[in-house]
Amino acid sequence: MKHSDLWRQWGWPIGLAALTVFGLLSALLGEGGIWWWLSWLTLATPLLAIVHHAHRSRRAIIKQ
Amino acid sequence: MKAGTVRTWVWIHKWSSLVSMLFLLMLCVTGLPLIFKEEVEHWLDPHPPLASVAAGTPRPTTESMVARALAARPAGHVVPYTFYPADAPNVMTVTTAVTSNPSLDGTWEGLHFQVFDVRSGRLLADERESKSGLMYVMYRLHADMFGGLAGTLFIGAMGLLLFVAVISGVILYAPFMRRFDFGVVRRNRGPRILWLDLHNLMGIVTMAWLAVVGLTGVINSLNLPLTMLWQSTDIAEMTAPYRHAPPLKNRVPLDAAVAVARVEAQGMRLASVGFPGRDLASPHHYMVLFTGQSSLTARLLKPVLVDAATGKVTEARDMPWYMTALLVSQPLHFGNYGGLPFKIIWALLDVVTIIVLASGLYLRIVRRRQDRPATAQAEPMIMEPAE
Repeated sequence: MKHSDLWRQWGWPIGLAALTVFGLLSALLGEGGIWWWLSWLTLATPLLAIVHHAHRSRRAIIKQ
Repeated sequence: MKAGTVRTWVWIHKWSSLVSMLFLLMLCVTGLPLIFKEEVEHWLDPHPPLASVAAGTPRPTTESMVARALAARPAGHVVPYTFYPADAPNVMTVTTAVTSNPSLDGTWEGLHFQVFDVRSGRLLADERESKSGLMYVMYRLHADMFGGLAGTLFIGAMGLLLFVAVISGVILYAPFMRRFDFGVVRRNRGPRILWLDLHNLMGIVTMAWLAVVGLTGVINSLNLPLTMLWQSTDIAEMTAPYRHAPPLKNRVPLDAAVAVARVEAQGMRLASVGFPGRDLASPHHYMVLFTGQSSLTARLLKPVLVDAATGKVTEARDMPWYMTALLVSQPLHFGNYGGLPFKIIWALLDVVTIIVLASGLYLRIVRRRQDRPATAQAEPMIMEPAE
């Protein structure tokens, strides 16, 4: 597999996993405030990715 | 990836999830309300703020509250431990029961809680162990399916299978999604392809969360064995000189044990005291547990063993690494840190997991129906989007 293919396939999954881990740790290690906000934002990114792609495919169908 | 390797991973993904499927669905469903346990309990039983105590009111000893708690219970009951909730600084709960330790099947006869205001000695609440109600049933189903240690270990094994299913699913994502862009959801190819794409999308974006929740769940299921290991190694070693000591006649008052232990835990918060006879203490010791004040150290415990006859500290050895791992695993599994928005996100991720599990089962069923006349060679293609 070419390097660019690898990145095309795994870029998003690895990025979202990294954001998830950051979110889990920032709420655990951080003392509230900004760290909790960052945790909420990063931990919500996998959910946003699901909503985005499910919604996008619906729009594509309507276009057809 | 070679076809044979793919076939092996398909087999692993299929069986790890099929075997654990029903239990994992049950765990996801019962876990959902448990995320909001504190909120629900507070809503069902709101604790009014503590009444103010006039300045100069003499502070009764905590030992006097222990004595009152025991007097209020049938003769022969003992105090296994007291505890001090982090969110209520002037409150002490005295636990009483028939025995100092629960039995291995998870029951604890006569378990009872009396809650005191330590400034005035006023009894705030007098509660039996709750053995009914939605939250209790959800908790027991989730933690041990009413099966005690055996049930907990079984659920831990299911958690391990979930972890295997996540890893094998991630490994299979590469060969099966090579020809597709990330996030492809084909709506015009029938329900099987639609649910296949949704299963792959939802599974891959939540892989880190699922792996963490699964693995920390497994670690939590080892709570009792790990605690017993700690007890039979470090604690047994520290209390070894007492092994042949005559039975404890009079224990020093709780206040004295806490005061002497506090010297070893400067600036820390008192969390709990195990009384002599408790497994984690010893027949001759108090086990006084402190926690730190920061977000992370508030989860960790500092144990101090106090000789209950002399009132002197025997040892204040830090917990072993596996106990620390257990304590850190708890929040990472429960999702009960990081505020209410955090819990809501946690619940939504749980719902996504339910969809991943259910769609996996659905795909398996429709595939099976289509495959019935086919030979075993069709198996490696089981997840391949027909293109």
